[in-house]
Amino acid sequence: MDDNKLETMDKVTKQYIVVQIGSEKYGIDIGYVDNIVRMQKITRVPKAQVYFKGIINLRGEVVPVMSVRIKMGLEDDVFTGASRIIILKIEDRGALGVIVDEVCEVVTLSEDEIDRAVGSTKGKDNFINGIGKNGDTLISLFEINAIIDEKDNG
Amino acid sequence: MDVSQYLEIFIDESSEHLQTLSDCIMTLEKEPDNKDTINEVFRAAHSLKGMAGTMGFKRMQHLTHDMENVFQEVRSDKIQVDSAMIDLLFECLNAIEAYLDNVKASSDEGTEDNELIIKELNDFIAKAKGEAPAEEAPKEAPAAEQPKDDSEGFQKFELDDSERKAVAEAREAGNHIYGMSVSVSKDCLLKAARAFLVFRAVEEFGQIIVYRPSSQDVEDEKFDLTFSFYIASTESLDKITAAAQNVSEIDRVVSAEIEEEKKEEAPEAKEEKKEAPAASGAPAGGSAPAPTAAKKPAAGKPATNRTVRVDIEKLDALMNQVSELIIAKNSLVSISSTDSGSINSQGFHEQIEYLERITTSLHESVMKVRMVPIENVVNKFPRMIRDLSRTLNKKMELTMTGEDTELDRTVVDQIGDPLQHLLRNSADHGLENAELRAQRGKPEVGNIFLNAYQEGNNVIIQVGDDGNGIDTEAVKQKAIERGIVTPEQAEAMSQKEIVNFLFMPSFSMAKKITDISGRGVGLDVVKSGIEQLGGDVEVKTKLGEGTTFTVRLPLTLAIIQALMVEVRDEKYAIALGSISNIEDIPVKEIKYVQAKEVIHLRGSVIPLVRLDQVLDIEPKDEEPESLTVVIVKRGDSQAGLVVDNLMGQQEIVIKSLGKYITGNKLISGATILGDGEVALILDVNVLM
Repeated sequence: MDDNKLETMDKVTKQYIVVQIGSEKYGIDIGYVDNIVRMQKITRVPKAQVYFKGIINLRGEVVPVMSVRIKMGLEDDVFTGASRIIILKIEDRGALGVIVDEVCEVVTLSEDEIDRAVGSTKGKDNFINGIGKNGDTLISLFEINAIIDEKDNG
Repeated sequence: MDVSQYLEIFIDESSEHLQTLSDCIMTLEKEPDNKDTINEVFRAAHSLKGMAGTMGFKRMQHLTHDMENVFQEVRSDKIQVDSAMIDLLFECLNAIEAYLDNVKASSDEGTEDNELIIKELNDFIAKAKGEAPAEEAPKEAPAAEQPKDDSEGFQKFELDDSERKAVAEAREAGNHIYGMSVSVSKDCLLKAARAFLVFRAVEEFGQIIVYRPSSQDVEDEKFDLTFSFYIASTESLDKITAAAQNVSEIDRVVSAEIEEEKKEEAPEAKEEKKEAPAASGAPAGGSAPAPTAAKKPAAGKPATNRTVRVDIEKLDALMNQVSELIIAKNSLVSISSTDSGSINSQGFHEQIEYLERITTSLHESVMKVRMVPIENVVNKFPRMIRDLSRTLNKKMELTMTGEDTELDRTVVDQIGDPLQHLLRNSADHGLENAELRAQRGKPEVGNIFLNAYQEGNNVIIQVGDDGNGIDTEAVKQKAIERGIVTPEQAEAMSQKEIVNFLFMPSFSMAKKITDISGRGVGLDVVKSGIEQLGGDVEVKTKLGEGTTFTVRLPLTLAIIQALMVEVRDEKYAIALGSISNIEDIPVKEIKYVQAKEVIHLRGSVIPLVRLDQVLDIEPKDEEPESLTVVIVKRGDSQAGLVVDNLMGQQEIVIKSLGKYITGNKLISGATILGDGEVALILDVNVLM
């Protein structure tokens, strides 16, 4: 109970990992992030959904890796030295890797710095549940569940 | 008393006793005078009763007690075993099993009293004693101890002087005084702990000033099912009541605000009365249990872990191998520290070989530890067939062989349902009725069999009957009717291919086919269940003579021997168990049948599968002169997989692809190679 009070006294803030995909910056709720690993050899899985690049070996565990770019209908990834795989841990469904062009920083956003009015628009915007404002930069906040969802919006 | 730590043992042992009971009663049915069996039944029932009692499962104890009484009478020759009794006893077993399932799910036996069964049991005893059936449930039956004050409001109770003073003081301090009466649920094991939780919950809102019974008595579990208290608080009554209600295993909370103490002269002496029997009836072990012991497992999750009982010898073997492993490691350490310059020395290689030997046998031992005989699953089948024989009114008998065949625990756990389904199918649809059997000159009692045996890396379980068999013509017609195949296609199909229609999901849904062929109910479920375990199922049938389902299961799930192959630069693993041989085939020997590539090898025609095509790999610019073909087999069918390169045999650990990548039947999993790279495991069964 006391914890609740503390939280309501402070403003509700969340930390987001800011990543670059294409020309946009996206934020991933840090609560979902298990790990960030460098790009490594991805083993292609034939007949898998197109947006799955394949699987990787993460310390002895097999983790599927998804291309958010393809899932969102952008052009295919180009791997550079800055490319990273963000490992998301989702309850019940296990780990999932997501390829990003670059990991920029970690920001703390409070609820009043987030514009939630954008979620309703159609198309690839379905993957975000708000726009965070961090100084001048705008950060699209990923709706993790939409990303892992089976529905192919690409 | 906290018994949760014994729960697992209790469940294990109770299941064993139940099985013994079931087996023995089956025997009794055939030989009602078998004294040894009667004694064994008695012993098992007695142990069950004792264990249930120790664990505090009163209902279960009660039922087993009465069951034991019946056996007692049988043992002393006062009652004869007859079929009505056998039926009743099986009902008892079902009821006990239901209790046990409840215990497994929630550490609690549930609330079913099974009074009907208990009454019938007692009738049996009564009959034996020459009395008329008892009119009512036996006296010791748990006379559903409903709290008496079912009335709406809260019953006030008398306060002594000091309490009255405390109430008055609290009221002056601006508090409301609420009276609450809390009933714990009947089957609550740790009433005192529940009460403690209630107190703690409500004390968040205020202070409890009066306890009935006294707090000491409540702590010592010296109350029946209901306890009451006065609480002084500034919060609303609803909130506090809700808090109390939130504590698990609380049946009812009755509460009211206590007005000025005018009416308090009209107390019910009832509370006092209630206290007395409760005090004497309190469990002997109820000496103020630690409240923390009352942890209740989250609902929905089974309260116990799955366990394997391990033969101590197997553990010893494991221990020995681990010691050897340590020795091997030490030698490697000493080699690396002494002649670090020549790491390629012979000693080093010897140690690596040694290490390899140890890890292999270590693997074997661990696998053995996980292995359990299928007996655990199949031994409930004779009983099931007996029941089916009754309900279907057909005479049948189940013969089983190879119950001691061992399989991985995970497989054994999940193979029960598919097998049960197949047996039911045999009993229900396979076996003909008595007249038809007589007409066909078959023995009156239908034969259903279950044979299990090991074959290489697989375990084979055959389930079948000597019944009607599958009418393939009817199945074919149905397939054509449903537009699955054209009549021309159907003509070209082998009997096996036609029978395989029965495993199609949509097919089994058709009621009609069940009538015509007598098969096809939920066979797709059987198939998918078995395939999930990495196995497969085949059917052999002859119209009028019977049907046999052959279930093939892998011995183990976790680690397999595999052949590593390369297709372009991708690496794939093929389970060694499904490979029959490897051939170099010159391209010019490829022939065509129905526009499909086949090879003719030692008298059999084998279809070729171009792995690069099925795996969506770019085709090669130019075809080499000869192809490397891995011949895989499943039962009678074969296929030749064209690969680029053979890398060699390897022991691989199977990892799942996870839940994200779906719709991929071709790949059954992945494995991590020595260099950290991931290779995919091909499920060749899909290619045939």
